[in-house]
Amino acid sequence: MISNNTFHSEVLQPFQIASEKYATSNAFCINEVFYSYKQLGEIISSIRASVKALKPGNDNVGLVANDDIETYAAIIALWLEGKCYVPVNPETPAERNRNVLTQAGATVVIDSSEQVLFPELNVIRSKELSFSKPDLEPVQVADDALAYIFFTSGTTGVPKGVPISRANLAGFIKAFFELGITMDSSDKCLQMFELTFDLSVMSYLAPLLKGACVYTIPKNKIKFNYIADLVEDHQLTVALMVPSIIHYLRPYFDEINSQSMKFSLFCGEALPLDVTGEWAACIPNARIMNVYGPTEDTIFCTHYTFSRDSYNKASNGLVSIGKAMNGTFTIIINDNKELVNAGEKGELCLGGVQLTPGYWKNEEKNKEAFFYTMYNGAPARFYKTGDLCLADEEVDIMYLGRIDSQVKVQGFRVELSEIEFFAKEFLNKVNAVAIAFTNQLHNTEIGMVIESTEFNTRPLIEYMKTKMPGYMIPTQVRFIHSFPLNTNGKIDRKLLKEKF
Amino acid sequence: MEKEEIVSRLTPVFRKVFADSTLVITDQLSALDVEKWDSLSHMLLIAEVENEFTIKFKLKDLNKMANVGDMIAIIESKL
Repeated sequence: MISNNTFHSEVLQPFQIASEKYATSNAFCINEVFYSYKQLGEIISSIRASVKALKPGNDNVGLVANDDIETYAAIIALWLEGKCYVPVNPETPAERNRNVLTQAGATVVIDSSEQVLFPELNVIRSKELSFSKPDLEPVQVADDALAYIFFTSGTTGVPKGVPISRANLAGFIKAFFELGITMDSSDKCLQMFELTFDLSVMSYLAPLLKGACVYTIPKNKIKFNYIADLVEDHQLTVALMVPSIIHYLRPYFDEINSQSMKFSLFCGEALPLDVTGEWAACIPNARIMNVYGPTEDTIFCTHYTFSRDSYNKASNGLVSIGKAMNGTFTIIINDNKELVNAGEKGELCLGGVQLTPGYWKNEEKNKEAFFYTMYNGAPARFYKTGDLCLADEEVDIMYLGRIDSQVKVQGFRVELSEIEFFAKEFLNKVNAVAIAFTNQLHNTEIGMVIESTEFNTRPLIEYMKTKMPGYMIPTQVRFIHSFPLNTNGKIDRKLLKEKF
Repeated sequence: MEKEEIVSRLTPVFRKVFADSTLVITDQLSALDVEKWDSLSHMLLIAEVENEFTIKFKLKDLNKMANVGDMIAIIESKL
C-alpha cells in the first residue's frame, strides 16, 4: 500500500464510487447518444483486459483521439492500470503523430477508428472488444508516475512533450473543486476540446468524479452552433470554453437565455471584459470565471471570478487572470530573475503541486524554461511562462501579452517559428515570416508574408498540411519585395502585421 | 423565389468564401465536404448569405442547419 497516494484519493477512488453509486445515470452524451456509468465501466473493463493481456513494455500508451465512448474509456482504463496516455489526433498528419508516438516510446496504441492508423504498433482495437467482467479496482502506482503526455508546437519543427504526473493531475483536481465549483449527478457539462488539448482533461474528468454527464462535440459540427444547441436543448450547467466561442455567438446573444448554466469558465485565450459582460446577461444564474494556465502547470492554475454588479479588474480590456489556485505559487520576475514589485511588469512564473516534472527528454529546453528560486523560505522550482504580466496589491494578475513569438490559435499554442521552419523547408532559401493577426471576429489567424514576387502558394500550403495540424496552416499569404527591418536590424514583424 | 435561383445566387457566395471557383453546391453538401469550412469561414459564409438575400438568420436556424439543403429551405422560408 502506498501512503499519501493523491491520484488514488482524488481521482481513481471518486470515479469508482461515482460509477457504482450512479450506475444508471448518464456519463456521456456523444452525438445525441447517451452512455450510462454502467456502460462506461464495462467498456473501461474490456479495454483494461486487453491492456493487461498485451503487457505494454512501455508505460506510455498511444491513444487515437476519436470522439467516441471507447476513447474516453481508454483513458480511465490506462489510469486504473497505472499507465499514461499519449493522445494523437487522427486528423493531424501521420508523420507528426508517428514522431509523437516514437518520442514517447509507445509500443501499444489504442484505436477506435474503423481503419487502424498505426499498423506498425501493437494495436488495441477498442471498438471490437467484448465485455466479460467489471474491473474498476485500480492497481497501486506511485504518484510520480505519469498520467498523460501532451505534445505541443515546438520551435524547430519537432513537437515538444509535456508530461503530467499523477500527483500533478490530482493536485489540479483538488484545487479545482476547492474553487467552490460544485457538481453532482444532475449536472450536464460541456466537453468542447480535442483530446490532444489539455483543457479536455478538466472537461471530461471533473464531471466523471461526481456522477455528472459529459456532452461532447462531434468533430464534423460547427462548434459554436453545436454548443448553443446543447445549451438550449440539453440545459447545460457547466461549461469551460475558449473565448472565441462567445465572439462567434455574440451577434445572437439576444436569443440566448440559459437559466440552467451554473458555472461558465473561460480559458485558453485572453478574455475581453466587454463581451463577458454581455454574455453574463445570457446566463443570469451562472458564476463566470476566467482561468489561466499553460499545459506545463496542468490545465489551469489561476482563477478570477467575474463580478456582475461591481468593478472588474482588467488590463487593456482583458479580464484579470486572478490569483493562484491552492497548491500553486505565482511569482513575477524581471530579466535578472528578481521579483518585481506590485504594479510592475515582468514574466509570470509558476510553481507548486501542478508543475510538470519537465519536458519529455529535452534537457536543453528544461534548462531554459525551469529554474529554482527561494519561495516562502524554501527553494522551489518554477516555470517561465513567457507571459508578460503584472500583479496588483491584492496579487490579482493581469495578462499583458507574450514575451516571445508564441501565439494561441483556437486556444492551441503555436510557435510561429515552427510554421516558418516548415515554410522555409519547402521554399528553399526564400524567406518567409508567419504573423498572427486578429480578424474581424476578434479571433487570431495565421498569415504568412513571403519575400518574393507572387507565385502560386497552393503547393506550399499542401506541403505544410503534411507537416502540421490544420490550426497552424496560414489562412492568408502576402508577398513583399524585401522585408522591412527595425532599428535592431531584425525583421519588423509589426510592419508586416499591417498587411493583414 | 425558385430553388434554382437561390442555388444560382448561392454558388458565387460559396465559391468566394471557400476560395474555390469550381465548387458545386448540392443539398447534401456540408462542412464535412469542404476542407476550409470551419467555424470562422462558416461565420463569414452566413454573413455573405445574409447580405446576398437581405435576410437575417436566427441562431436557432443556424444550430439546426446540417447541410446546404437545410440552408436553402431556411432562405426560402424567409423570402
